Amino acid sequence: MNNAAPKTGLKRAKPKETFDFFHDARVRSVFYQLITAGLFGLLMWYLVTNTSQNLQARGMSTGFGFLNTTAGFDIDFKLIDYTPGKGTYGRIFVIGALNTLLVSFMAIILSTALGFLVGVLRLSNNWLVSKVALSFVEIFRNTPLLIQIVFWYIGVFAVLPAVKMTIDLSLGAKMLLLNNRGLYMATPIMGGLFWMTLVALGVALAGVYLLRRRARKLQESSGKQTKTLIPSLGLLVLLPSAVFILTGRPLSWDMPTLQGFNFAGGTSLPPAFLALIVSLSIYHAAQIAEAVRAGILSVSKGQKEAALSIGLKPARVMAMVVIPQAMPAIVPPMISQWMTTVKNSSLAIAIGYADIVSLFMQTTLNQIGHAVELVGMTMAFYMVISLSISGLLNIYNKRVQLVER
Amino acid sequence: MAIITPIKTPDRAAPLAERSIIGWMHKNLFSSWFNAILTVVTAYLVYITVTGLWAWGVTDATFIADSRRECFENSLSGACWAGVIDWFDNIFYGRYPREQIWRINLGAVLLVLWMAPLWMSRVKGKVLIGAGVVVFYPFLAGYLFAGGEKGLLTQLMVSGAIVALIANTSNMLIGITTRASLKEFLLQVLGKAQASGRTQRNVLLAIVLFVFVAVFLWQMQWTAEAVSWTQWGGLFLTMVIAGIGIASSLPGGILLALGRRSKLTVVRVLCTGFIEVFRSVPLITVLFMATTMFPLFMPEGFVLNKLVQVIIAVVLFNACYMAETVRAGLQAIPRGQYEAAHTIGLGYWRTTGLVIMPQALKYMIPNIVGTFISLLKDTTLVSIIGLFDILGMLRSISKDIPWLGLHKEPLIFGAMLFFVLCFSMSKYSRHLETKLSAGDQH
Repeated sequence: MNNAAPKTGLKRAKPKETFDFFHDARVRSVFYQLITAGLFGLLMWYLVTNTSQNLQARGMSTGFGFLNTTAGFDIDFKLIDYTPGKGTYGRIFVIGALNTLLVSFMAIILSTALGFLVGVLRLSNNWLVSKVALSFVEIFRNTPLLIQIVFWYIGVFAVLPAVKMTIDLSLGAKMLLLNNRGLYMATPIMGGLFWMTLVALGVALAGVYLLRRRARKLQESSGKQTKTLIPSLGLLVLLPSAVFILTGRPLSWDMPTLQGFNFAGGTSLPPAFLALIVSLSIYHAAQIAEAVRAGILSVSKGQKEAALSIGLKPARVMAMVVIPQAMPAIVPPMISQWMTTVKNSSLAIAIGYADIVSLFMQTTLNQIGHAVELVGMTMAFYMVISLSISGLLNIYNKRVQLVER
Repeated sequence: MAIITPIKTPDRAAPLAERSIIGWMHKNLFSSWFNAILTVVTAYLVYITVTGLWAWGVTDATFIADSRRECFENSLSGACWAGVIDWFDNIFYGRYPREQIWRINLGAVLLVLWMAPLWMSRVKGKVLIGAGVVVFYPFLAGYLFAGGEKGLLTQLMVSGAIVALIANTSNMLIGITTRASLKEFLLQVLGKAQASGRTQRNVLLAIVLFVFVAVFLWQMQWTAEAVSWTQWGGLFLTMVIAGIGIASSLPGGILLALGRRSKLTVVRVLCTGFIEVFRSVPLITVLFMATTMFPLFMPEGFVLNKLVQVIIAVVLFNACYMAETVRAGLQAIPRGQYEAAHTIGLGYWRTTGLVIMPQALKYMIPNIVGTFISLLKDTTLVSIIGLFDILGMLRSISKDIPWLGLHKEPLIFGAMLFFVLCFSMSKYSRHLETKLSAGDQH
């Protein structure tokens, strides 16, 4: 775009322009593009013919028919029903995709929260705290994620006490149990009238919203500040619990109980899942912390000083003046970290968590071949996720720009 | 009438915070009650962590033992570094034949020797040195590491590499002692310093040709025992993959970025598509694709070995990331620079090469180094598809009979190794950035 001699300028330089076929910029541009397209087409043709010849020579079938055939292997962690020998390969794709999404989603939430905390601590005026945050960032940024994942898996979660020596994280209530088979949680079972408690919670939320809106209006009109925190909390806690007790406590727990050699009941998360969540969260928290720090530093110092000079406390200056202005600088790198988190969850394959890559690209591929289709489907899955997240980023960027101008 | 007292008022003392350790602590650690509590709690946590790690890793640890059992006999609560020490050769060189390890070391020393002049301010011709490393070193190193039969191309390139290395080293020595370049020095010695440009060129060409022929005849007698790539491993293999990845992803990335900014629609669409596809999928899927689909792409009977497949995948993947880094750098160049270059009549390639790239590269340095660091860290993924890179080696320690089950220590050692490499790279890039931008601050 930049070496395009402006047409008008060209004309002024040469009043009588003669059309020279070989030196005309447009002709050359078309010529180069034709060559590129031709070369690309040739390459594609070469690859496709080779592939089809190879597939024929090896007697491999093509097409997506395999998605409806049944698979024989078992999967130890799944969100939807699947029985080996009955479920299809199509179902395995869905299970893998859901497992990847679940682990990435949880890691994104945790890493964002931890990253924000560390990023803010990194700028603390307490020397010791900021140095500790700095060491956290440097240690986890400069070692390979794969080593971290493997370390958490075989160094931490696999050497937890055996089932008989289970650690109770809920202090004796036996609702949250940790051992070398994973984390076992009690699952709530809702009784018949439990919906009333949920309704009460909704009403309480609406009440809090109204309360805060009234307080803000009062402040805008009269400058009077009212305290909303304690009434809101009271409303949120008291109303639902009153309804809960009045309707006769319609909630029971499916407790994990020791049966034979393992726990049954409740929900369980395997060690590979826990190791993956922890390592992804910490690794990406270190990256996000740097983005947060850079964003906060990009807010001009005068803003902070002005806020301090009108008497705001440092914590409120951070929350009400600095961070809101830093967000446009923080969010884009943070969202690209989210994208990387989703992609990095594929390292699950090293520790045997059943994500899409290990289920579909490894186990399935080893069993039935169909390399082209399997690789294509897995890559398409990741591309859809990436495009959706970057679409989110674009929407956000547009909104920020609209607010600015 | 003003009353002027001739006595000087005493200097006011410096504020407490600037004066003493106590003052510094007051300002930075105990400025408020909240801060004081925070400091005490953090200091306590740091104390527990550091003393715990020190006891485990140093005071209670076993450094000399023949098996894991002996480690346990020595201490149950300490680390067993003996296993890692026992495997040092494997961690660094993989299963490379022990009596041939000097070849790897020689390759490393030659690379350092070749690159050293780039850091010396008195040596001239740095662009030529850099180009020499990129063009010739891979052939020399490749032959050193793999050995075996030499084809004509390998012979020519290896001779070229040796000539370039000789020229480079003598250039460095002359540069350090006399501040002249090799060319000036040779012409002076031969008494042709005043001769016409054409004679000078002929003289230099003759010298180069003579040296080249001598080297070519000399290297024909070499025979290096062939070492199959399957025996390559450890940090050495990691460095081979990362080195080739780094050396080829930068030029590849520059080409892709230029293609993405091109005004030729077909070129732009192809480059953009290529970059976006590779950037939106994980590296591990690209590696799987390389090992399962490359054999299908190739004509029948043509077999690529796994290492080559992996390297192609790593280069393609990282070139796309590099392209985005380069694109960001190019966008930082003001339009006026392009226009100025056109005004003095430069075409597209010369504008890019002489005016735009040198400026853009300076902006890109932190991000380029960042990409290099993540490339180095990402090479550990090749262990998943069965290559014995450093992580593969570290993990196989736990399968060795005397060290059965020794997982933690090797992984920690590997993590420390990577930390040193990556941390020094990022610190160096920070230093380079300030050094190069020193001229910008008006």
